[in-house]
Amino acid sequence: MTPLVWLCKRETLRVSKLWTQTVLAPVVSSMLFILVFGLSLGGRIKQVGDVDYEVFIVPGLITMAMAQAAYANNASTIFQARFDRYVNDVLSAPMRPWQMTLGYTVGGVVRALAIGVSLLVLGFVLVDVPVQHPFELAVAMGLGLTLFASLGLVVGIYAEVWDHTTFIQNIVILPLTFVGGVFYSVDVLPSPWEELSHFNPIFYLVNAVRYGFLGESDVSIWLSLAVIATLAIPVYLWSLWLFSTGRRLKD
Amino acid sequence: MNCPPKLGVQADPLTHGTPRCVSRVTNVEAVYRDHPALQLRGLTKRYGDGTLALEDFDLEIPAGAFFGLLGPNGAGKTTLISAVCNLLRVTEGEISVFGEPHDSLQARSWVGLAEQDINLDRFLTVRETLTYHGGYWGMRDPEERADELIEAFGLGHKSDTRAPRLSGGQRRRLLLARALMHRPRLVILDEPTAGVDFELRQELWRYIRGLHAQGTTILLTTHYLEEAEELCDEIALIRDGHLIARDDAAGLRDHFGVARLQDAYVKAMAS
Repeated sequence: MTPLVWLCKRETLRVSKLWTQTVLAPVVSSMLFILVFGLSLGGRIKQVGDVDYEVFIVPGLITMAMAQAAYANNASTIFQARFDRYVNDVLSAPMRPWQMTLGYTVGGVVRALAIGVSLLVLGFVLVDVPVQHPFELAVAMGLGLTLFASLGLVVGIYAEVWDHTTFIQNIVILPLTFVGGVFYSVDVLPSPWEELSHFNPIFYLVNAVRYGFLGESDVSIWLSLAVIATLAIPVYLWSLWLFSTGRRLKD
Repeated sequence: MNCPPKLGVQADPLTHGTPRCVSRVTNVEAVYRDHPALQLRGLTKRYGDGTLALEDFDLEIPAGAFFGLLGPNGAGKTTLISAVCNLLRVTEGEISVFGEPHDSLQARSWVGLAEQDINLDRFLTVRETLTYHGGYWGMRDPEERADELIEAFGLGHKSDTRAPRLSGGQRRRLLLARALMHRPRLVILDEPTAGVDFELRQELWRYIRGLHAQGTTILLTTHYLEEAEELCDEIALIRDGHLIARDDAAGLRDHFGVARLQDAYVKAMAS
């Protein structure tokens, strides 16, 4: 287990050495969303269901920040390691493929958790956001982070240039997050937009996390967890397959 | 030095003989007695674009040898090394390191590689580079060994400096120190002195000779023929993924009927 522990330490060290970029910047950015959308717009939109608007958006914002961080961290760490070829130090080490996969996955998870915990504390202080169902919240977060951390690895391994990793972030993840119900309940959308929202996987993650915090969700928590697990497991296995076969990592 | 009953004493090559306890099962002499350090059988590598870098390549390097691999750019030297170190997907053939399949954890733990390109982790300092490498190789307490190597390679004043801020020579030294960090049985050096000045080259030669004197097998690729002649017991000439000739420097000169290794090399590559 020693090699895995050291790879996890290396990935965590990278996050902590660059903490202003990896943790502080996303926390500040999400804080601005809470202040601008929640506290200013909240004056006009009083409540969503039984929840104050500034409280309603916090779970979605935390989800958005954590998912993006898990993806971006892992896409950049593995792409950089491939680009500078220091990934060879890991690929040639007496380490099993599952240890390499797990070790690289951990960095994104640690970074996302650092952001999530910071935002949770700030959310509690600023708008008194509750945690109604901690178990469901933990499961949803675990699956969501597995999904996005693994997706970051897969994209970082396939990417030929840096733009490929940012393309997925800016053209796929960010728009899906915005239309995934972070700022609104899809119940208020007219047809067919409400129905179409159900094809967006991030909609289920946002709702699962919102259920964990507020006890409210547009869909069943179990359906949400099932959808996230159905995506997270294959993507994790995909990243494991890449390390096992060396595809795209070795010539 | 007193070691536990199941352990034997072995001198450390880099610290000029500081003894340490090693498992008798993996004791260098025991492994050397039974297996060559490196054995390639029918090794073929065809890249995705169709380039055939190695074709049905056989090679055996005895344990304890100082073996040179010479050939022009594109001959297949780095491909061969990458195959041994699990850095590329072999098309066909078998590779064993001291009798173990090269992709086994045991074989991986026996090999140390200093690549031709400087591929140091940009986020790590000198000490972290060595310590983390030791950790990846399963060393329980890599800090002490890292300090030994920092001292041995004259990097003490740069131990907390990140790799991108080191000079070219310091990076080259760190690359070699990293390859030796886990005390490998087989050290593979891919053009370790490419682009370094005369003084550093002499210094690196001294380290490498010290390692070899203590029983470590060395596989060296270089474009400097005088370096191969000076250091290697045996030299293989390769071209277009095939082995052209293999002997010591004197044997190669005799074989090609020339007075200098350079001339033997030119003849071999032109044949």
